[in-house]
Parts: sequence; structure tokens; C-alpha cells
Amino acid sequence: MIEAQNMTWNKLLDEFQGGLEKAIEELQKRDVENIPGAKEALIQRLNNIKLHFPKNNGEILLKSINDKIQNTFFPNTKSFAEAFEKILKSRTHEQDFIINELLNGFVTSKAKAIASGTQGPIIDRMVEAFSKRDDFHIVDHQFFAMFGDPNKPHHYVKNQLKELARVFGLISKELVIEKDVRRSEEKVYTFYTFPDEIIKILKEKYLVIDRELGYTYVSREFDRNVFICMFLANIAINRDDLEKIGSSYTVNGISAIFALILLLSFMPKLSVDETNPILNDPNFDNRNMSIIPKSWMMKQVLEPLFEPLIKIVAYRIGGGLWFSKIINSEINKKIHNQIRFLLKDVNKWILGNLCRVEIPIFIEISNIFTEILVGYKEE
Amino acid sequence: MSYKKKSTRTVKPGRKREKWTDILPRYLTFLSHMRPILRETRRIIIDLDADLLLDTEILDKIRQEEEKRNIRKVRALSEFSAMYRSNIYEIIKDFIVKYREKIPIIDIKDYIVDFLHESIDALNFLRHITNPDELNLENTYLYRLVKFIEDKLFSRGANFKIIYNNLLDNSTNFYECQRHILQPHTFYRENLENPDYFEIPGISPKIYQILNNITSLFNLDPNFGEFPERENYEIPIILKNDVFLPYIDSIANSEEEAIEKIAERMGLRLIDEIFLAPQEEFVEILLEHNFLRDNKQSDGTIRLYPQFSNETLILYYLAFASQRRGFLSKELVNWISMNFAFLIYMGILKWKLSDENIFYTIFEDLQTNEKVLPYLMKLICFPNYLGLDKMKIRDSIQYRKEIFNFIGSQIENLKDFIDEIAQYCENFENKSKNT
Repeated sequence: MIEAQNMTWNKLLDEFQGGLEKAIEELQKRDVENIPGAKEALIQRLNNIKLHFPKNNGEILLKSINDKIQNTFFPNTKSFAEAFEKILKSRTHEQDFIINELLNGFVTSKAKAIASGTQGPIIDRMVEAFSKRDDFHIVDHQFFAMFGDPNKPHHYVKNQLKELARVFGLISKELVIEKDVRRSEEKVYTFYTFPDEIIKILKEKYLVIDRELGYTYVSREFDRNVFICMFLANIAINRDDLEKIGSSYTVNGISAIFALILLLSFMPKLSVDETNPILNDPNFDNRNMSIIPKSWMMKQVLEPLFEPLIKIVAYRIGGGLWFSKIINSEINKKIHNQIRFLLKDVNKWILGNLCRVEIPIFIEISNIFTEILVGYKEE
Repeated sequence: MSYKKKSTRTVKPGRKREKWTDILPRYLTFLSHMRPILRETRRIIIDLDADLLLDTEILDKIRQEEEKRNIRKVRALSEFSAMYRSNIYEIIKDFIVKYREKIPIIDIKDYIVDFLHESIDALNFLRHITNPDELNLENTYLYRLVKFIEDKLFSRGANFKIIYNNLLDNSTNFYECQRHILQPHTFYRENLENPDYFEIPGISPKIYQILNNITSLFNLDPNFGEFPERENYEIPIILKNDVFLPYIDSIANSEEEAIEKIAERMGLRLIDEIFLAPQEEFVEILLEHNFLRDNKQSDGTIRLYPQFSNETLILYYLAFASQRRGFLSKELVNWISMNFAFLIYMGILKWKLSDENIFYTIFEDLQTNEKVLPYLMKLICFPNYLGLDKMKIRDSIQYRKEIFNFIGSQIENLKDFIDEIAQYCENFENKSKNT
């Protein structure tokens, strides 16, 4: 068993090695950079990666994925609360963009699974529905009153809400009224809320509990990202149950996003001439942004790097089960291709240059690379 | 035989041309019902011995008495007044219960009176942001605030270039707000390929994604083709198919079919049916802002290299919509005017109310918003202000609910802008006092 695992892992490292060679080859053929030295810096970085990645059984990748990516976005645990807490705690304003884009990617590719016919504001609706009450519950009737279309039947909203509750891991409670005032018929109200252990975590920052008045309000911090953290935590703990998490789409989407984060973190920072107009651009902030070579995003360069890296990520976070779902089908390729254009709000295009905002996850992963690189050089 | 004269007009109900003098009184109606309730409450609290406030049942009794005095005949108004009064009393009760152990009751009373005073002042101000005859128009707050916001988010100008340049100047501080007013939450109602050729819809999440793809493809690996209008020049072009390559299950089919119109709104055009390239007029602007860089080739042709930024195409869309504001889709007109109304309303509240004012929630409540903002939206649409087609403002309650439910989910940048509007109001008032 262990031998088979080693074989797969080594094969994946070899594939990545092959991808690096191909990317370097492609890079040498073309130059799309407008900053002198950018292409050379990227080639040197890819050569460095090629040289040092296989060492110690792929130590750099193991550390980056196991310690950083998993801890921040996809904790390796079976406890929903623990996973949620870890993801929530790693939130920063900029990191929210990544996490947001992450889900947006899914909303686009598997919109039907999350909420049919919507492209985005469905999570905002959940936030608004929770914000309007003082008991931290939402009720199907209230949701219908807020967002329902009177021309469509009530059960349409009810089913949508049920589906959303499943995706985010909310719990439901039923209240049965024997005789309602209007028709003297039995009526069942379904309340949705967060599980108790999650509420405990949210109490710290996201909920305002007024014990004297018995109210629970959401604070201003409570936003769509709380739901996105729930979504990720829900997938993280159910990673062994493909049916629960939405099968191949989810596996490919998540692995591709994490692979993209890894690649972004490994890209070298460029120094530019002080007369370069980008330095005077009001949208470029020298304190927390850095210019990175853009040619790595070229299809010919990114593809050979991206595909083996997606497999590596899938194997590390979901084992053989996830790995088996990364097949080079046309659809998967399209999902990967789509993710290539994500993370737009974090990586800004400024005057044709791709600028990385130095958010914690990028810095931490790039530090692993630098530390290990320095270690090898000293040896 | 009936002597009732039959109307010769066949205008649908709700589609009547509404004049300024029709809408302003409606805007004022609910405001003028809220203010007396707050004033009555303030008088009652002032007259009440502070110790009596400790017993919340007394407040309940007072409220019941006040409700008996309600003699309004219009049902909607009396219902609203009852709801409004009960909200005020509930908030006061909650405040007392929460702080009675921590703060002396006499101070609690003072706080409540102060908060009420601030709220009355805010309502009074909201009632006087303009006047029925639009006298001295340029010195009314409504006019000044609309122009202040318009300049930053939806600029006017003698030509397209002036509008684009002004939006770009303001994008450093307010890019996210600029983008926000282009993205209506009711995008799914819009037709991408509207039979009315001129109609401009908002940007849906998918169009936004496509726009991002286009920016990336231009920056990453453009091809170059002849500049049709200028000899010896080459402009960057990208393959239309590359933009749609990532989409599965035909999820971007309608966008692909309408690409010519979508491209036009971003300053692009289709060349030979397969390439996307910047329009002639846009090339000038791109060159001016360094979004295109010229480079002489060995064969003497001048090649224009793209170096787009995130805002390059979005601001074109915004400037395009602003210049052709008479042709905006229904959804976009509602969304833009709602955001303007919301910014003005919140800016005034921010200026007039202290952050800890307990009645803030009433002002922000959906039930209050939907009474004030729809008419403010219409006022803002008049020609002297935003100049949008106010006939497109929907009156349906369901629709209002749909769009107003989202004004609570603000983006950070909107909050910064609200602070700036509050500051502007303060400065304007000081200036008016000094002159």
C-alpha cells in the first residue's frame, strides 16, 4: 500500500518536473513581457523550482500544501467546527477576495447545484435574511416574503432554501402549528440556523448577543464570507464522500484553485526602473503589491505547469479518490482554463502588468520556498 | 345615463407622466408623518419624571394612549404611523433595560432626548433638501449632492473623452463604487440582445467575468492586425473564441451570441467576425492614458501594444452608459437611481446622526427606506439632476423589495463614500453660513 502511494507520488513529481521543462521551453520561444529582465527572472525561478522540488520527497510541495493551503482553506479534520474555525480565523480582507473568487468559480461552473438560475446574489440573500431578524434564524416564509416572487409557487423558494442549507451545512428545526389563524389548518414552519458549535465560534466576532433582552443580532462583520467558510469547511470534512460534495466538478475546481495559489506564490517579484510609469500609477501600492512576470499566465506556459500541479494538490488533499477524478477530459480542461482567469481582484492588471497583492497566504508559501532554497544552498 | 366624463387618455396606470410637483409631495408625505411622532415622543420623555422611565410598562401605556389619538384616515398612513411609533418606543424600552444598571436613569433620559433631537433634525433636513418650485436650484442640497456624486461615479461631459478622463481620475478612490453602480442585482431580467438596439443593460456577473477574460487576453498574448482607419498602424486583436473557451455546458451561449453589442459597450469591435479589437475612438483614449504603447517595427509600421488595467474597460462601459443615459435599461435606471438615493440618504444621516444614535436602525429599516427612497429616486431622475428616464422607475412593491433588500449589503468603498458625502454636507453648510 505504502509502496503504491510512493509510486504515485514519485510519478506525480516526475510529471511536474516534465511540465516545468516544457514551460521553460515555451518561455524561451516567446516574449510577452514589457519589463526588461522579467522573462529571465521567470526562467531562473522555474529552473530553481525544477532543481529543488524533487528533493526530500517533494518537501516544498508537501509543506506548502499540508501546512499552509490545508490549514488556511481546507483543514484536514473530521470536525466541522474545527475546520470552520480554522478557515474563519485565517480571514483577512484581501484573503476574502480569494475565497470569494473561489466560490464564484463554483457558482459559475456548478450553478445548478448551489441555487438554480442565480449567478451570485444568493449568498447575499442569506446574509440579508439573517441580518433582518433578532434571533439568528431564518424561516422559509420570511425568505419567501423577502425575496420570493409572488408569481412563482412558495415551494420553489422552500426547495432552494433547503438546498442552500445543505450546501452550507446549516441545520433545520421544524415548528408545527396545529391550527393556523387563517385557515385553521396545520402549518409547518422550517427554521434554519447554524449548528450550535458554529454559533459558539461566531459569538466572538460575528454575533451580538443581548442577554438582557434575549436578542441575537449579526454584527457588521457578518458577511457572505462567513457562508463561504461554511461551504469550504463542509467540503473539507466530507472530502471522502464525493456524492455529498458534488463530485468531479468540486474536486477539479478546488484542486485547480489551490494549484493556482501555489503557482502564484512561487512567482518571482520583479524590480522595475524608477522611471517606470507603473510606479506612478495611483492604483499601484508599493507597500503591499509586487509586479510578477505575466508570461507564466500564457496558455502555453501555464498549461504544462498547471495540470500536474492540480493532480499533486488533488492527491495531497483528497488522496487516491480525488486523484482519480482529475482526468484530462475536455470539461475538466475548461474548468482549469476558467480558473486561470480567476483571482482578478487580488491580482490586478496595472498598465499591462500583473501585480500581486501580498496577502498572507502568498507570503507564507513563498517563504517556505525561500527557506528551503537557502537551506540547500548553505548545505 | 352617466354624466361621468370618460377619459380620452389610454395611458396605463402608473405610466402617467409625473411632474416635479406630483412627486415632491409624495416624497414629503412619510417624512412629515415621522417627524411629529418623534417630536411628540421627545415632548413626552422631557415631561416625564426620569424615575418613571424605569418602569417600562408606563411607556407601553403612554404609547397606547398616543395610538388612540390617531385620527388619520388613510389606512396606509395610519398603519405606518403605528408601526413607526411602536418601533420608537420599543427601541427606547430596550435602551433603558440594557443600561439601567450601568448608567443613572437621569443620564439615560438625557441620551434619549438627545438622540430624538438629532433624529428630528435629520428628518427636518431631509424635508428641506429641495423646494417645490426648485427656486435657487443650485444652492439646494439635493442638487449639490446629486452633482457631487454624479461627478465621481457617473460623470457628464461635452464629449466621451472628457467623461472617461474624469471617471478615471476618480477611480483611484472610488473604482469599486463605479463598478458597483454598473452591476444591478436584477441582471437576470435583462436581455443581452434587446430588440431595441440602443438599450444599454447593466453588467451581470458573467459579463464581468468575460470582461476580465478580455483584459487578460489582451495583456497576455495579443495578436496584431491592421488598424482599419489608419495606415501603417497595427492594433492589438484577440480571438473571440478564446474569450469563451473556458465555458462549459453552454453557460455563456447568450453572451457569445450578443458579443458584438457587449463589445461595443466596452469600446471594442468585431473584425472579420472572429477578432475583438479596440474601436478607433477608444484607441486615442487608450494611447493618452498609456493603456496602449506604440512601438515602431523594423518594417516601418507602428504597432500598438496593449497594457490594460483592471479599470480600462469597465470605465469605458460606465462612460458609455453615462453618455447615453437616455437609453439605459429599466434595471440599470432603477439600480443607479436607487444607489444615488441611498448614498444621499445615508450621507445626510451620517452627517446629522451620531454613530451611537439608537434610532439609526429605524432610518435604515427596509420599511422606512421603501417609503422615502422610491420618491427620492424619481426626484433624482429629473433633467436638472441625473437626467434619467424616470418613467422606467418601477412602482411595484415586489420589485422595490427585490432591489432594496440589497442596499444593506454595502461594499466597503460605499461606506467610505458615504463618509465623504457627510463631510461634503458639513463643508457646504459652513460655506453657506459664511456667505
